[in-house]
Amino acid sequence: MDRNHLKRQVDFMKRSFLDQGYLDEQFIQLEELQDDDNPNFVEEIVTLFFNDSARLLQNIEQALVSGPIDFPSLDNYMHQFKGSSSSIGAKRVKNECTRFKEYCTAGNAEGCLRTFVQVKQEHAILKTKLETYFQLAKQAGPSGTSGGQIR
Amino acid sequence: MGAAVDHVTPMGMSGGSAEGNDKSEGQRFSCKSKLTALVVDNGGVCRAIQTALLRSYGVETEAVETGEAAVELIASGATFSLIIIEMLLPFMNGPGTAKQIRAMGAQSKILGITAFFDRRDRQEFLAAGADDFIEKPLSPEIVIPIIRELDN
Repeated sequence: MDRNHLKRQVDFMKRSFLDQGYLDEQFIQLEELQDDDNPNFVEEIVTLFFNDSARLLQNIEQALVSGPIDFPSLDNYMHQFKGSSSSIGAKRVKNECTRFKEYCTAGNAEGCLRTFVQVKQEHAILKTKLETYFQLAKQAGPSGTSGGQIR
Repeated sequence: MGAAVDHVTPMGMSGGSAEGNDKSEGQRFSCKSKLTALVVDNGGVCRAIQTALLRSYGVETEAVETGEAAVELIASGATFSLIIIEMLLPFMNGPGTAKQIRAMGAQSKILGITAFFDRRDRQEFLAAGADDFIEKPLSPEIVIPIIRELDN
């Protein structure tokens, strides 16, 4: 497939992620940091995010199902998870984290459990979408995901 | 309890002092003086992103995982123009870290940073000696004015 066409597809995909609220401006900022010296920066960061966050989600799940809920621990895990989510521009994930935090602060176990399902769902959806995005970007070749092209 | 200093792969730094992030003309905002920064965050993703962002503006940046490691580094003689400290650190928290750093006489600009903004956390951080307190993510809108201020 024509490389320009692929690049247009990459840009279109990114625009749709932004329009549908999966990602926000922070993701564009990450792409601005990518250059010839660090051509895979965004994919590396996103990979690190999904590796780290899988562990955090597991810790949260564990804390939710074992015995009386330790809300301070939950708060701690969610703090880290939200921090990294917002730092990569994972907008929907970040919003679910905020909802979870509200229930956690209120000591509402049922609310935490319910919201956590949404957190995991948005996390999984984003992972799939970004995997597809980076695969397409690789096919598009160098600068397939360079920033500054889409706002 | 100290952690190894992160040496995130440095970003290429284009020259010039054009404002903002617009790379379309091949220029990116860059600090004029030699500025240094320390990122203190137990999250690998946040450490990597904040470090890369600062380095992209020409700021020589190191990163550590704990408040204790930050204090150790400064106690060993390292000085930084800017120190960014996460609120919730594993052992000594962000404000505790800021307090110790100030007690050692460090004149650095200290920016507290957190995942969930909380007024009480802000008060605690400022009382401990931080200059400001923001919610993540660290963005160019936050960093560029700070760099300009430090440059002057």
